[in-house]
Parts: sequence; structure tokens; C-alpha cells
Amino acid sequence: MKSWKQTLIGTSLLALSAAAWPVAAHHSTTMFAHDKVVSISGVVKEVHWTNPHVAIYVEGAQKGEKPVTWVLEMTSPGNLTRGGVWKRTSVKPGDKVDVDMAPLRDGGKGGALKKITNIESGVSLSANLREQEGVVEK
Amino acid sequence: MKRKLTVASAVFAASVVLGFAAPASFAQNKPAEKPIINPAPTAKDWADIGKLPDWSGVWNPNISDQDRKHRSEPPPWNAKAAAVIAFQAKELKEGRPTPLFTNCLPEAHPSWMLVSHNAMEILFTPGRVTMLGESDAGRLRRIYTDGRKHPPDVDPTFHGHSIGHWEGDTLVVDTVGIHPQVYIATHEAFGIPNQGNMRVIERIRLAKPDELHFTIKIIAPNVLTKEYETTRTWFRQRARKFDLVEGVCQEGWFAPRIDKDGWHIWAPQPHDVGGNRIPPP
Repeated sequence: MKSWKQTLIGTSLLALSAAAWPVAAHHSTTMFAHDKVVSISGVVKEVHWTNPHVAIYVEGAQKGEKPVTWVLEMTSPGNLTRGGVWKRTSVKPGDKVDVDMAPLRDGGKGGALKKITNIESGVSLSANLREQEGVVEK
Repeated sequence: MKRKLTVASAVFAASVVLGFAAPASFAQNKPAEKPIINPAPTAKDWADIGKLPDWSGVWNPNISDQDRKHRSEPPPWNAKAAAVIAFQAKELKEGRPTPLFTNCLPEAHPSWMLVSHNAMEILFTPGRVTMLGESDAGRLRRIYTDGRKHPPDVDPTFHGHSIGHWEGDTLVVDTVGIHPQVYIATHEAFGIPNQGNMRVIERIRLAKPDELHFTIKIIAPNVLTKEYETTRTWFRQRARKFDLVEGVCQEGWFAPRIDKDGWHIWAPQPHDVGGNRIPPP
């Protein structure tokens, strides 16, 4: 049972945020369980190389489970290319991949991508924006 | 035919009368003011630009520094704001970060300086410093350094009206006229609308050859109990891979698709409350 004060704060917050709810943009990522890793294998269906967050759709499954579509969220195209590894074409539809992700806490079929490995080429990609700090490239 | 021409002539005549008469009617109750002209820059103006500190390159926010300052330098929120911040902290801990910026409106000033994860570049031209950021579909701050004052009655905007001057190698920027809805955010999930009458004073300087320090003083009497001062660090990169690219935030509302007639379209993309794309059922 919430107190009236909690309800009031919650209502105010809802009012502050209501207009923001239906869409995607820069946001904190605590909806993902960063202390956990879910691994799936599958095939890339789509790559949305879009701002503010890139998304990769993978038809895949955890070991022993039935394949479903997973959505992997990442940072922006600009931030990814600045890492010097990612390109728009680094991951393509049809690629067979192994994926490690920090899963959605609510059990949804999605997560924050930690690592994606192309099974045929063996190339692995990860992206940690903070790794660039303190490294000045001349 | 003749009638059509007559009607057309009448419409044209009315347009001429309205179009040309209107400006005169705007001015009739007030003596004409001499317009202020922004003078064309001289060769000396351009040469003087070369004497300023070198802020070229791509500037990236130090996000770890942002995280540290969020924890170590909380703003002096008033009671009403502090209650919302406490609620946001609880929500964040439980995996429901408050979606302050998921609507793709600009992070705006001063939150862009405080919490952005996106790069920017800074351009010097005579009489102006311009900050261009890689988000919000063209994030932009114009800082006038031509000696002008703030207008007496500023039209509120997301980034406000900024005037600046140089004190040695430090650019001092004073900004007013920011929408009251604009957040003072210290984290992507912690922020309070400034509630109007906010002033932001920045001192910006190269603290190290490739490190730009922003000392930001926020005066927001409707949500803070006293002035709040904090700093943020941006680091420079010159490698070409760091060049800014287009960053249209609203792009994420849509998915690139081809419709049944073969047209490339942007199809609305469903998202959850937190701003993430919803996996298909």
C-alpha cells in the first residue's frame, strides 16, 4: 500500500514523463540486468543502424530452447564508429551469430548487447563507450 | 473566362494590399527604430580568431566523470524536487529508469553539458562561438561574443540566449531564457524541470592540451535552495573516425521498411516504457 506522499510523487513523475513514454531515445539502461549474461545463437534478421540507438534483431535461442526474435540494443552509430571497430555493415542480415547480452530484467526477449561473434568468420565485436576515455589518438 | 480573370485580379489586388500594407500598419503606432546591423567581419576580425585557444577537433564527454559527479556533487534540491529525485533513485535501482529524454526533445541547456553521451565540435567565427552536438537532429548552441547584451524580454528556448566573453583563455558564458520545462539533469534518469527564471554561468577552458573543463554554475531559485556549481570534462580526439555524424534522435521512432508498392518508408516502431524497441511477438 503506497502512502499518499508516494502516490503524489509517483503521479507528479508520471506527469513529467508521460509525453516521453511511447518513444525511444537516450536513456539509462538499468532495465537491463548488467550483472547477468544471456547467450543465444541464431541468425541476424535486421540491423537498424539508427539514432539514438542501433538495434540488431536476431532469430535465435538459448541452448535447448525454441528460436524467437531477440532485439539487441546498443549505443548510437556515431559512438559505435568512434570505437574504431564498428561499421554499418559489420553485422548483416543472414549472418550466423553467437550473442552475449545483458538481458531485460522483465524477461522480455531483448537485451543490451555485450558481444556478438560471427560464427563463420570468428570475428567478435563488443562496444564499451567508456573504453575511449583517456586514450587520445593523434 | 472574363469573370474568372476578374476574380483572380481581385484576389491579386487584395494580396498586394494586405501584403504591402501590413508592415506599415505594424509600425504606425511606434516611431521607427533603427535596425541593429551585424557588421560584416573584417580581415582583422578573422585574424583575431587565430589568437584564441585551439578548441578544434571532436570533443567527447567523459561519461565516467559524469557518473562520479552525479554521485559526489548532488545539486541542493529544494524539498519538492528532492522528493522526486528520491523517487527516481528508487525507480532506477529497481530497473525502471525515469525516461527523461526518451521523447527526443533536446537534452537542452544545461543538461547537454551535464549528461550527454554524444560528441560535439566548437566553432569560432567573428562575434560568435557555436557548439554543434551529435544528437537531437542538430544540437546547437549559439554564444554571442560580439558584446551584445541579453534582450530585455527573451523568448524562451531550449538552449536559451547566451552571451560570452573571453577572460584570458577562459570563455565565460552567461545564459538566460531557457524553457521552464527543461530539465536540470545530473544523470539520464535523474532530472527536475528548472521551473523558470534559471540562469547558467559557465567558465570553459583547456585544463590540459586535450581536455576541456566546463565549470557550470546553475542559478535556479524555483528548484534549488542555493547556487549549484559543478564541473564536467570533455576530451579531444583528432582521429578522423571521430568526426561527427548526423544524429537524428527521432530516427529511433521508426524502422526502415519497404512497403507493398516498393517505396522505402519509415514505419512506426513500437517501444516499451523505458524507450527500448519491443521484440515482435
